[in-house]
Amino acid sequence: MTTGMEPIRFTVNGRPAAVAVPGGRRLLDVLRIDLGLTGSKEGCGEGECGACSVLLDGVVVNSCLVPVCQAAGHEVRTVEGLAADGRLHPLQAALLETGGVQCGICTPGMLMAGVAFLDAGAAGSTPANVTPMDAAIREAISGNLCRCTGYARIVEAIRLAAEGRVGAIAAPGSNGAMAAAPADGMSAPVAPLHATDVPGAERDPGRAISGDPGADSPRTLAEAYALLAEGGRRPLAGGTDALVQQAAGVARASRFLDLSALAELRGIRLDGDALILGASTTYAELRRSPLVAEHAAVLAELAAVVGAAQIQVRGTLGGNIATASPAGDSLPVLLALDAEIVAGSPRGERTIPAAAFFPAYRRTALAADELVLRIRVPVVPHRTVAFRKVGTRRAQAISVVVIAVAWHWDDGHWRDVRIALGSVAPTPIRARATEAILEGSAPTAEAAALAATTLAAEIAPIDDVRATAEHRRAVAGRILHRIIRDAAGW
Amino acid sequence: MRPVPLAVGRSVPRRDAAAKVTGAALYTDDLVVPGAWHGVTVRSAEPRARLIAIERDPAFDWSQVVFLTAADIPGENVVALLTDDQPVLVADEIRHVSEPVALIAAPDIETARAARDATRLRTEPLPPVLDPLASERTIARYEIVRGDVDTALAAADLVIEGTYRVGHQEQLYIEPQAMIAVPRPEGGVTIHGSLQCPYYVHTALGRALGLDPARIVVIQEETGGGFGGKEEFPSGLAIHASMLALRIGRPVRMVYDRHEDIVATTKRHPAVVTHRTGVMRDGRLVAQDIDVVMDAGAYTTLSPVVLSRGALHAGGPYLCADVRIRARAMATNMPPNGAFRGFGAPQTEFAAEMQVNRIAEALGISPAALRRRWAYRAGDATPTGQVLKSSVAAVEVLDRAVEASGFEQARAARSDHRGVATFAGHEGAVAPDGVAVVGGGPRFARGIGLALGWHGAGFTGSGEAYLASIAGVDLTAAGSIRVLTDSTEIGQGSRTVLAQLAADALGVPVDDVEVAPIDTSVVPNSGPTVASRTTMIVGALVMRAAERLRAEVEARTGRPFADSYAADVRAHGPARVDERFAGFPGIEWDAERYRGDAYPCFSWASAVAEVDVDLDTGEVAVRSVVQAVDAGRIVNPVLAAGQVEGGTLQAVGYATIEEMKVADGRFLNDRLATYVIPTALDAPRIDALFVEAPFLDVPHGAKGLGELPMDIPAAAVVTAIHDATGAWIHDLPATPERVLAAILAAEEAGA
Ligand SMILES: Cc1cc2nc3c(=O)[nH]c(=O)nc-3n(C[C@H](O)[C@H](O)[C@H](O)COP(=O)(O)OP(=O)(O)OC[C@H]3O[C@@H](n4cnc5c(N)ncnc54)[C@H](O)[C@@H]3O)c2cc1C
Ligand code: FES
Ligand code: FES
Repeated sequence: MTTGMEPIRFTVNGRPAAVAVPGGRRLLDVLRIDLGLTGSKEGCGEGECGACSVLLDGVVVNSCLVPVCQAAGHEVRTVEGLAADGRLHPLQAALLETGGVQCGICTPGMLMAGVAFLDAGAAGSTPANVTPMDAAIREAISGNLCRCTGYARIVEAIRLAAEGRVGAIAAPGSNGAMAAAPADGMSAPVAPLHATDVPGAERDPGRAISGDPGADSPRTLAEAYALLAEGGRRPLAGGTDALVQQAAGVARASRFLDLSALAELRGIRLDGDALILGASTTYAELRRSPLVAEHAAVLAELAAVVGAAQIQVRGTLGGNIATASPAGDSLPVLLALDAEIVAGSPRGERTIPAAAFFPAYRRTALAADELVLRIRVPVVPHRTVAFRKVGTRRAQAISVVVIAVAWHWDDGHWRDVRIALGSVAPTPIRARATEAILEGSAPTAEAAALAATTLAAEIAPIDDVRATAEHRRAVAGRILHRIIRDAAGW
Repeated sequence: MRPVPLAVGRSVPRRDAAAKVTGAALYTDDLVVPGAWHGVTVRSAEPRARLIAIERDPAFDWSQVVFLTAADIPGENVVALLTDDQPVLVADEIRHVSEPVALIAAPDIETARAARDATRLRTEPLPPVLDPLASERTIARYEIVRGDVDTALAAADLVIEGTYRVGHQEQLYIEPQAMIAVPRPEGGVTIHGSLQCPYYVHTALGRALGLDPARIVVIQEETGGGFGGKEEFPSGLAIHASMLALRIGRPVRMVYDRHEDIVATTKRHPAVVTHRTGVMRDGRLVAQDIDVVMDAGAYTTLSPVVLSRGALHAGGPYLCADVRIRARAMATNMPPNGAFRGFGAPQTEFAAEMQVNRIAEALGISPAALRRRWAYRAGDATPTGQVLKSSVAAVEVLDRAVEASGFEQARAARSDHRGVATFAGHEGAVAPDGVAVVGGGPRFARGIGLALGWHGAGFTGSGEAYLASIAGVDLTAAGSIRVLTDSTEIGQGSRTVLAQLAADALGVPVDDVEVAPIDTSVVPNSGPTVASRTTMIVGALVMRAAERLRAEVEARTGRPFADSYAADVRAHGPARVDERFAGFPGIEWDAERYRGDAYPCFSWASAVAEVDVDLDTGEVAVRSVVQAVDAGRIVNPVLAAGQVEGGTLQAVGYATIEEMKVADGRFLNDRLATYVIPTALDAPRIDALFVEAPFLDVPHGAKGLGELPMDIPAAAVVTAIHDATGAWIHDLPATPERVLAAILAAEEAGA
């Protein structure tokens, strides 16, 4: 267990670094302020723009949403570490060649997302050997906003690099290298990268943030329970909700309980007639799991439309469930699949049906000392599941309406119909009246029309900054109608 | 010596790119400033109120911070710009939400924020004006009249009316506003900031700080996007940071987070544009009666100039004998709107192009053919009476875009099943509470749309003559050649382009030309980096200065400049030539009557957009935009294409998803999660095509380019939505919500 101020050690661009800072400090601040590596930029501090993207063990993450305790023992790579042996990385060279840089503020983050994509392709670790086609490249950088270029020349650069068609370009003065790490492994204050008009410039202590939360990273569940019982700590898995709330000041924790080291919360396995998903299962893991593909492919489908790459590799099912946002995309799917949530505390484990887990707006059935341990998804043969997310744009979007529909075909009729929705009520909901209409019915045009209008009336959406209630009613009805019609084939 | 290849016309690599790809480029927030304090701003929460007291929580230890109010302003309480109506800090009346009221600095950001949280404003609410149409305070008003529009309308076969509403748009540069003020030993201040117009900041600092201009230095650091959002806004922020820095005697850093940046900075002006257009059945355009109302927000900022450009472009690039354009910008209690790429033209050109497309439909004439018939040719006169003498390429860009996009073929292929017909024969189902729910047609519909536009290059009217910009070229004592301008690199490539122009004028390789850093103690005032003027106006001054320097050196050495300048510096020391703008021949403007030559020349563009509309949800996927552009001679093809591509995507966002929601004078979607801009997956394929009709009154033949690509794609996209669905949408953005509502209405009509 780390106390707040023991040095946190990790490597940055291949060199050891150690910082004695609170474990809840954002990796972005540690890089920019404590280590003087200002190549990573801050455009939002909320995971939306990707300007702060770095590689954590080769995976692209938003460093504004990573508490530094989660970098401990890991390898961080930043834009400053891309050029090697006096030569630019091929993607850096390609961006120069295509003209993919304008104001440049998005460039470091874009590069890291692009490099993650290229490295994954080369290693063959992405599903079905991603071809560096336009769409795959665009998806890979859809968590990185660029306001200048229209993206075309960035996409082109990644393609050139993927195809190995970039000439070598010498790196300009190696300005970005970290200062040598002293023998004790502590990073010395890094020499300023830029001398301002103040002579004798040194590290800028005023930028150190005093109010950062501390963090504990328990190794075992028992330890985690004990810390949680002590109080004053907020669990944190991928941090993609917790750090946003921290930044926005909505829910400020003074200390995080970092769950990332708990093996009990990890893994996807089959247990008899159920698929067991550890609470710390990420969207990226759902997307590439063969077990998920075989037994609950809709989970992979939903994971693919959550946020963008940086969110998918960090955000977890357990976090989505515990946040209990009405717009949480996995929740309607879990409802439609009759999933159960296994919660644990020193008192033992209990299993709560997803349908009973979300009692009120942003509330869960969890007690204060409980953690989500895993999710149990019954494996039901011959079940058909349809899923659709309507968001505010094509990636990195909050839902306007999410719907998941599950049923069995029984001689041309629908049985065991489950219809669940998100973003249309204070909690994720089952649409029971609409289910009743379709239960045992053939998916005819009449049934579809009745189901659609019933659904539009049954849900209880509100007007918010994304859409009006009226729009949500119409959209929910129309997409259900489309799902029925596509299934029926008329 | 080998002849030096010309730099102009080649895609010379961008100068700043290498530092940007390695992370070495330093933006304002990257600067290490030891001992700097952090500044934050206390802002109003109401759209209008009397400020009675600023209350500070006695439980907080105020000794650790510095707290400044309007009473602490050393000079005048104004952010100097066109008029002096905007205060640095509220002294008496709060006029919009998020208006700066007090400033706090502390040694660390946490303490500064805690102090802000411990501050309360005691106010007495006053009734706000939030609707520009209900406002009684006019910020600016113009009337442009040619011929007799009422008589012409009465004589027209058909009068087509339309009202178009466009909302706020946020510039959304990815680097938020950032400023560092450093006190100078002799009593002045140095500013390091993210900004477009160093001399705007310089002037505003002098007025508010009451400082001798010689004691103020403004340095532009690497700037992560501007698009107009760092034109006038940084002046106020620089004053804030400087007030704190001068009071404390230490550097002060003020960097907005995204939330503050969205709620507190200027946006594109919302507008309501009404057209009444008279046409004859054979397709002749006989009358245009246009009314433009813009929401200026609480202060004047640049609204008169934005409105002026909007009004001057409101008719579109079409010849019409009888025209009346009435335009006004009204004061409201919304945060002030300001500069944004296009500067008034995207609002009015959206309306103009929607109107043309609706007229084409009403007349049953191809929108391309109708435009070909109406578009300006050389020799035609605009509504202000400006005769377009040369470099008029409206028809050329139109033909190029129509041809490259296959516009007519796509229309022909779809003409049989376009529009409302898509839904015919399907019963619409209606939910009990009256919400129409089900269409029953195919899920997607594809459509194509066309627009044509123009953009006056440089400042309007006598603006350039008034500015009298200066640009220089010097040979330094160290023997290097330097371009001296205050034109800022904000991503558009000015650093590279100015070097290319100077290199050719001097006859040296482009790599031999340096561009001086933007530091007001070094570079002259060549005017603001706005209005698509840098290449055309400042670039021409740089070339003329370079030509004079070259002649001077060659006269002394008797040899070509390239071979002799180094020796000349050794023999005669450094040399510098400055060139001052002296007007274009034959350009005259009467600002009183709004008649004459509004711009030295115009750039032209035509856009064709293709969309897929999801008929279930109203979501629009813009598949492609072909934009053909004439910006005169293209100095750097890759940089120019980058301008078109980026501007086109901003216009696609404006057309489809970028909606600033407002309630009670407040911006509701004040985060990147809720104010959404296009990601790489939302971006269409963009084809940038160039038609080059050089402007002959500048040595390089280049016209303005930066803003033009933003002007018209929105109309092309929204017309493509109509082509796909049969539904006309009159308001921007065409959000899924608006599109679906229009589809539902069309379904009901067709059912
Ligand atoms: C840019 C961006 C895009 C996003 N896009 C989407 C989207 O498309 N769809 C969507 O649904 N969400 C989206 N989110 C929200 C978020 O990513 C998801 O909710 C994610 O699943 C949260 O998981 P996490 O591990 O990051 O949670 P964390 O932030 O670590 O935790 C979230 C909450 O859950 C609690 N918690 C975490 N794990 C446990 C546990 N095991 N037991 C008990 N409590 C626990 C924490 O205390 C905290 O309150 C987005 C977020 C961002 C920043
Ligand atoms: S700063 Fe925008 S995602 Fe991290
Ligand atoms: S280059 Fe400016 S944001 Fe991408």
